Amino acid sequence: MTEISTPSHKRSRLNPTLARYLQAFTTPKGQIALALIVLLAGVALLAPVIYPQGHDLQTRDSLLPVSWAHPFGTDELGRDILVRSIYGLRTDLALASVAVPISMILGTFLGLSGALSPRLGVLVQRALDIIVGFPGLILAICVVLVLGAGWTALLVAIVVGGLPSFGRLARATLLSQQHQEYVIAARTLGVDKWRIMVRHILPNAIDPIIVQGAVFVVAAVFTEAALSIVGLGLQPPEPSLGILLNIGMRYITIAPFYILGPTLILLLLALAFSLLADALNRTVNRT
Amino acid sequence: MFGFLLRKLPSVAMVAFISSIIAFVLPRLAPGDPALTIAGSDATPEQLAAVRERMGLLKPLYQQYFDWIFGMFRGDLGESFIMRRPVASVIGSRLESTLELALLAMLLMIIIGLALGIAAGSPRSKWARAVLDAMTTVFLATPPFLTGLLLILFLGIFVPILPISGEVGFLEDPLLALQYLILPAVALALPQAAIVARLLQTAMNSARGEDFVDLAKAKGVPPGQITRRHVLRNSLGTAVVALGLRAGDLLAGAIVIEAIFARNGLGSLAVYSVQSRDYVVLQVLILGAVVIAVFIQLFSEIILAALDPRIRLEG
Amino acid sequence: MIAVMDVLTPPAQPLLKVEHLTTTFDAGKVSVKAVTDVSFDVFPGRVVGIVGESGSGKSVTARSIMGLLRAPGRVREGRVLLNGRNLIDLPEGEMRRIRGKQIAMVFQDPQAALNPVMRVGDQIAEALMVHGADAGSARDRAKALLAQVGIPDVERTIDQYPHEFSGGMRQRVVIAIALANDPALLIADEPTTALDVTIQAQILRLLADLGRELNVSIIMITHDMGVVAELCDDLIVMYGGRVVEQGPVRDIFANPRHPYTAALLKAVPRLDTAGDDPLIAIPGAPPVPLRLPPGCAFHPRCSNAVDKCRVEVPPLAPMGDERRSACWVAMAGGDVAPVAAEATMRARHGEREREPALRIEGLRTNVARPGGFLRTSDPVYAVDGVSLEVYPGETLGLVGESGCGKSTLSRTIMGINAVSEGRISVARRDVTAMEPEDRRQVSTTIQYIFQDPFASLNPRRTIGQSITEALNVVGITGAAAETRMVELLERVGLSQDYVPRYPYELSGGQRQRVGIARALSANPRILICDEPVSALDVSIQAQIISLLEELRDDLGLGYLFIAHDLSVVRHISDRVAVMYLGRIVEIGTAEEVYGNPQHPYTVALLSSTPEPNPDRSVENRTILTGDMPSPARPPSGCRFRTRCPIGPAFRSEREICNTTSPDLVETPNGQKAACHFAGEAEPGKA
Repeated sequence: MTEISTPSHKRSRLNPTLARYLQAFTTPKGQIALALIVLLAGVALLAPVIYPQGHDLQTRDSLLPVSWAHPFGTDELGRDILVRSIYGLRTDLALASVAVPISMILGTFLGLSGALSPRLGVLVQRALDIIVGFPGLILAICVVLVLGAGWTALLVAIVVGGLPSFGRLARATLLSQQHQEYVIAARTLGVDKWRIMVRHILPNAIDPIIVQGAVFVVAAVFTEAALSIVGLGLQPPEPSLGILLNIGMRYITIAPFYILGPTLILLLLALAFSLLADALNRTVNRT
Repeated sequence: MFGFLLRKLPSVAMVAFISSIIAFVLPRLAPGDPALTIAGSDATPEQLAAVRERMGLLKPLYQQYFDWIFGMFRGDLGESFIMRRPVASVIGSRLESTLELALLAMLLMIIIGLALGIAAGSPRSKWARAVLDAMTTVFLATPPFLTGLLLILFLGIFVPILPISGEVGFLEDPLLALQYLILPAVALALPQAAIVARLLQTAMNSARGEDFVDLAKAKGVPPGQITRRHVLRNSLGTAVVALGLRAGDLLAGAIVIEAIFARNGLGSLAVYSVQSRDYVVLQVLILGAVVIAVFIQLFSEIILAALDPRIRLEG
Repeated sequence: MIAVMDVLTPPAQPLLKVEHLTTTFDAGKVSVKAVTDVSFDVFPGRVVGIVGESGSGKSVTARSIMGLLRAPGRVREGRVLLNGRNLIDLPEGEMRRIRGKQIAMVFQDPQAALNPVMRVGDQIAEALMVHGADAGSARDRAKALLAQVGIPDVERTIDQYPHEFSGGMRQRVVIAIALANDPALLIADEPTTALDVTIQAQILRLLADLGRELNVSIIMITHDMGVVAELCDDLIVMYGGRVVEQGPVRDIFANPRHPYTAALLKAVPRLDTAGDDPLIAIPGAPPVPLRLPPGCAFHPRCSNAVDKCRVEVPPLAPMGDERRSACWVAMAGGDVAPVAAEATMRARHGEREREPALRIEGLRTNVARPGGFLRTSDPVYAVDGVSLEVYPGETLGLVGESGCGKSTLSRTIMGINAVSEGRISVARRDVTAMEPEDRRQVSTTIQYIFQDPFASLNPRRTIGQSITEALNVVGITGAAAETRMVELLERVGLSQDYVPRYPYELSGGQRQRVGIARALSANPRILICDEPVSALDVSIQAQIISLLEELRDDLGLGYLFIAHDLSVVRHISDRVAVMYLGRIVEIGTAEEVYGNPQHPYTVALLSSTPEPNPDRSVENRTILTGDMPSPARPPSGCRFRTRCPIGPAFRSEREICNTTSPDLVETPNGQKAACHFAGEAEPGKA
């Protein structure tokens, strides 16, 4: 009983899952995404260092158009819109970096709960279906209604809004994997349910959830922007991209450049994370 | 089909029931006293009590709920606290604006979504594919309000060819109404259309890898006919399901779009009601949006069954 | 007779002439040769078999001929001449006129090959209309074709959709589409692999009959030497993208001139030999086209290889009349018969134990989905009253076609499906209730070997992690687990180099070995093997079967060996049970059941199984009609009566079969059979 062992080609001992994700950055799309994200996140992080004077420095030059001194112009109180946009970006990214992981983890766990008890899984699924029934902003408005406009409401609205999509992805993985032979094999060996969920099913759910996570960063920022535009998001002294757009809309006919800067930054952000999601998706599906 | 609707009835009723409870309870969970808002902060306790009595706030909560529900069955949606008008007439006066916007946007979503998806899912040259791919990616990444802002900037201000705020009723002056409608409708439709297009494209690509496409090739069927009869016919189901799901988001998108384009529709009514805590109006709007979304999905399931003989509605 | 024809007619021109065909798949800078320098002829009216395992290039050859290569495949060199016209250079528009008109194709999986949203009549008519027929005549011809391929009730079925057809019926529709324009050449790519054995027999007979009637040449692509022997006139054996041997089927079977062909014929279990002579397994696995060994691609697995084989590719050289072979040893006149690495007979454990480790009594399993809120669903018994015992040290083979309930039976024993009625006892303990304590008893006594070694290992966990997990469950941890894991891997023929590897780095056979090692980690007494070799290449099957036999005899394991392949079951089993529609219809020792089957279904199964023996008469075989009924609506009385060749469908006076379900009772021959007229059916008498 001999087995001809094929010469093993050199394998890197790096965690294969992580290595696969890093591969996404070898594609052109992935590289553009990486560059944009590094730029945007870097600027947002370093905002207090680059502009130590803060975003509230008022001058007498109100509503100045685009110039070298003020690349995005100035606002109604003579504040530099570029500085305010960067601080706004900082606010939005901070919000997303708190809300998105919470929503991802919670949603994934809810989606996988069926691995512990099929009844629980169905129950959770029904609950998520109800959330889905409240399309887009209507859900966010309901949350704002209860909690009052502000940080908490936004955070909750984003987290709850993301639960169905993460939950569905995780549940889809669960439903497809729980009949796979290796899961049945683990069950027949007597491996307990928690272990099966964490070791066998969760790793398969991670790919689509990471991709969805990249998409959802954009959705989180857009939820803030949309709510702030209609006046139900953050409130004015706070700098956020949505608030800039809200105020900019009032001056759109006399100072159309006002919303141009924040719009541009939102576009870049959306582009960056969509490209990232795309690159991740291709890499994940290739292997 | 009748059997299918009958079978769906319990779940639709269930969704409507749960949404109605949520729509009823949520606004009442909000902090603050609506009676105080109405009576003014310097009202005497007697005045406050009178306001509460008039608004029916003294009855137990379940009583209020049943009053509301049975009222709705009689066609009485309640009376707005703030505007002091029946909710039905408040909504009625705003309905046309939103209806026109939503219908046009849905039409655009279907046309653009299917066209873009079919174009991207058919054999194309490398360049055409790259352009289509880039278009879908950009539309996909840009939410309605950003599209709206960009449209306002470029087609309303830098090159002023279309009006950017306000509205005209379609029945008064169809041509002018369309001019006002076109930008918001496009802004609302594009991102949803891109989602539909991307899903249709993926479905077509995977259908193209199926054995029955190989069999069609082996029969000698020309490429155009393969795309039409074999690839597209097997992918349309995905598109229909996607359209049904996106319609709800499209309705919700109207909230922001109406704010940006200064239209007086149901979306701006909803925002105003949240700000003024007018929950009598709000509960009807929330319930209405959910029920409409459910019915659109039901409709898409019926179309899906018509497209795919394997799905039988009666089954 | 051939000689007479030669005198009367001038030597026929080949219909199809493939010359030096080389097909590559280019991915970036890497170019993989899937097919290298393949040449052969197909003469009018002949059936040419192309046999090979996965990666041999047999399907790519077929697709190259049809011009149906999937991107990025493309023909690099060579010509494909159809009646003297080179198809490779033809513009796509021209080629389209030939496809479906002069060459047609039948695909492997009839489930996937028909467009699910198009009526079958329209799909046939489309084949006619793209070649110029009008709608009316196309529909008439579609009806005629459906009748010709044996579809009943054409007027109604022509407007049905594919999902309303059974697998066998769908394959008939695909054949009807292929024959629509009276093609001169039919390429059938594994046309029966996805079908059950009784349906396979129907389709093979249909192809043979139609080929003869319509004088169509057929290229039959298959991995099954039995199918070749049954259907083909000429044979082409492919390995590693090249033709290694070609010639008339009878000559090759009688006297193979390539070590691969010779080894393949020896590695396949046969119906007509009992399991005592060990199979001569071919070591290793078929090469992947990306990493072909240098020299002769078969040399790493060849027991006769000489130094020259390792460096130089042998040419396909003539070996006597009409024969060619690509082997340096054969060219030098050497012997190509495989040398068994270890021909030692193993001693079986002596007396079989008195106490069965697994006993099942009157088991019924309801597989109906649980009813909804207001609906109750009728029970569907996929397993309906099955009793059997498995003793340590013996193999009980369980055969049956898909849908007969054999997998549900094994899943019920493992506690995946719930028991509706009956009892399961494991090592003398009644575990029917499947309480936690029962489950522990089951999982320490019984383990499971799965069909698909690709699916039964978690792709994201290393081999070591998979086995360690199994060891941890039975309480072996830390260093003890390390030692035991290496022990287990060596036990199944794998070195400890495999511990850090991921499943995708292993071949199918190696993965199946890992699956066995994992099952052994709990020191079970019984293994349930659910089609353990059917997903493997033919040359690998023998390795796994031998390994299982070795483990059984060394460790005294008992097997419940579930399979649809009767030859494999005969080889490994001591006793055999035959299952049909949820019930056991015959059970006895392998000699009894195979030597003198008593139930007509067993007779039909045996008679339908293709054997690698071209001299076996195929004319008077028992070929069942129709399909197995759904377990949701089993026939009254005897469940087999709707297809039974000696039952009321053919002999109307046999009322008893319609009314009374036969019991499983002992027959004069020794085994038990559930038939009112047991022993009456004989092969070939239907």
